[in-house]
Amino acid sequence: MNIDGHLIAALLVLIGAILSMIRAAAGPTSYDRVLAVNVFGTKAVMLLAIIGFIGDRSGFLDIAILYGLVNFIATVALLRFVETKRLT
Amino acid sequence: MGETIADILLILGGFMALSGALGVLRLPDFYSRLHPAGTADTLAQLLVISGLVLHLWIDPNGSYLAMGKLLAISMLLFVTTPAATHAISRAAYISGLRPWTGDSATDDDNQLPDSESPLPDEGGG
Amino acid sequence: MDPVLLLDVILLLLAVTTAITAMAIRDLLGSVMLMGIYGLLMAVIWADLFAMDVSFTEASVGAGAATILLLSALTRTGTRERTGGDHHLPALVVVLITGSVLIHGTSQMPAFGDPQAPAHIHVAPHYLSQDIGKVSQKSSDGATRRDFGDHVPNTVTAVLTAYRGYDTMFETVVIFSAGVCLVLLLRPRSPLRREQADE
Repeated sequence: MNIDGHLIAALLVLIGAILSMIRAAAGPTSYDRVLAVNVFGTKAVMLLAIIGFIGDRSGFLDIAILYGLVNFIATVALLRFVETKRLT
Repeated sequence: MGETIADILLILGGFMALSGALGVLRLPDFYSRLHPAGTADTLAQLLVISGLVLHLWIDPNGSYLAMGKLLAISMLLFVTTPAATHAISRAAYISGLRPWTGDSATDDDNQLPDSESPLPDEGGG
Repeated sequence: MDPVLLLDVILLLLAVTTAITAMAIRDLLGSVMLMGIYGLLMAVIWADLFAMDVSFTEASVGAGAATILLLSALTRTGTRERTGGDHHLPALVVVLITGSVLIHGTSQMPAFGDPQAPAHIHVAPHYLSQDIGKVSQKSSDGATRRDFGDHVPNTVTAVLTAYRGYDTMFETVVIFSAGVCLVLLLRPRSPLRREQADE
């Protein structure tokens, strides 16, 4: 009975993820891409939390936490590369 | 009652996430795209996760561990999303990307020329 | 309609689209970012299929470590793909033949969940007949043996932990040493060390 709100929210977040993916593919500058990937990561974390709730599996939440961390690290690594063309 | 509030929070959060992504897709230049990316996403995750936590709170079988994990995710995103947005905007500003003004005379040389661009990217796709 | 199935179908379509875009795009940095998105999508799909360990690996390796490794490869190359001359007709023919042979091979496989499939006739009864980790066992001296504290939720996990434990451990060792080697190969040399090497 409470599936409906979750499903609508999940679909809205999923459409948002698709839109930010189009931005990541289109560019035009590298910074746009980095921003779009970051936005996509946030959407993926939300999506995982909601799907985990629909499927009633709390294991999803661990993965969502991992995503949040990996997303931030990947964003910082991408920025370092775009700024200096080096990683270290 | 509580279920309805939680569902409303969830759908509102989904709507915020969608509108933020729409802004990232449709706004004219990089600096204006930062705005929906930073603010709308932070609000969206707060609304979605508070909706989920409210659902768990009402549910007599809801586990406190899941609630704590959800709150941890929320805190993490609350810190990292604005920090990442700030880092991206700062990197773009230092590299010399100029904002879009709507004035075609200045906007012609707005984007850095490809040959001198410090960006390793010429807009493929 | 099953909501998880609906999300699954959308996610799979999205993953295919992302992979094709990542291949088609000429800008290699954009390609790397799309591969990161692809890793995230695959991790969501694995999680949707309840393969939690695979999902964890995909999230940390596919989205995190692979992105950073590809970026460190890009620091040694350019970020633009060379244009032209990359359509190789014999290669396309070979790929098409191999693909059709593989697809023809899958048509001979037993149906999904078929109880008469060879895997269910030969090994599955053997695994199902034993109960490692599922119940407390009385050993010969009368003491109760509690495998994994009776916490193993199903047969697959029991098989994984009982038979594949060393396997998984040494896989981890291999992956770790591969990572260490890559870090050693790709590390920047400090200016001081370079001067010493020049002298």
